[in-house]
Amino acid sequence: MIMSTRAITIAGFAIVIAAMFVLEFLARRPGSRIPTLGQWLGYAMRPRIGRVLILLGWWWLGWHYFAR
Amino acid sequence: MATDDVTRRGDRPGRRSGFLPWPGRRGVRLRTAVIGAVLAGYAWAAGATVPFSTTSLVFVLIPGVVIAAIAYAWPPERIPPPDKLDITGMSYWAIAVAALFEWEASAFRDNSLPWHPSLTDLINPLLGPHIVKSAAILLWICVGWALVRR
Repeated sequence: MIMSTRAITIAGFAIVIAAMFVLEFLARRPGSRIPTLGQWLGYAMRPRIGRVLILLGWWWLGWHYFAR
Repeated sequence: MATDDVTRRGDRPGRRSGFLPWPGRRGVRLRTAVIGAVLAGYAWAAGATVPFSTTSLVFVLIPGVVIAAIAYAWPPERIPPPDKLDITGMSYWAIAVAALFEWEASAFRDNSLPWHPSLTDLINPLLGPHIVKSAAILLWICVGWALVRR
């Protein structure tokens, strides 16, 4: 069966997002070297500029999906 | 050596620790329930707005302003971030995030045509039903609150 280009694109997104869920699951195992999403976001938000940029990114997502 | 004088996390609110304490477990539950109900109502109202309208913009602006004000003026007790991250462990996340951005950018570059849709093109139809959009808005607000605590 030949996948259409659209199906390949959707599969690509699904694989990457699934990989993120797997990473979060692996990160929550005891002794894991992989940081959780919250841990690395928290680390990125230590400097004020990181905090501002990540909060701006959060707001942009809301604007992008809910206001337009 | 006495260590009882060392303040630990959860001992008591620190400097500018955010909301005033509401004594009693029942009070906390009541406050959480009230805030939850208000947020759910807000998300429901926001979910009913028409895209590209001033109303929808205002409904997105308000949580942004509130979260920014809380983060700046009344920061809640923050979850301590790690002092350092394992480079190898972090690299897996970096690869995943880069792959997501690259995949999205490639669709964007192709003008998000139906045969190469962007993530937005795929998510927008899912947000069509009112209840789904409202749930997504509620989730977005909760993520904003979680970020402020980081």
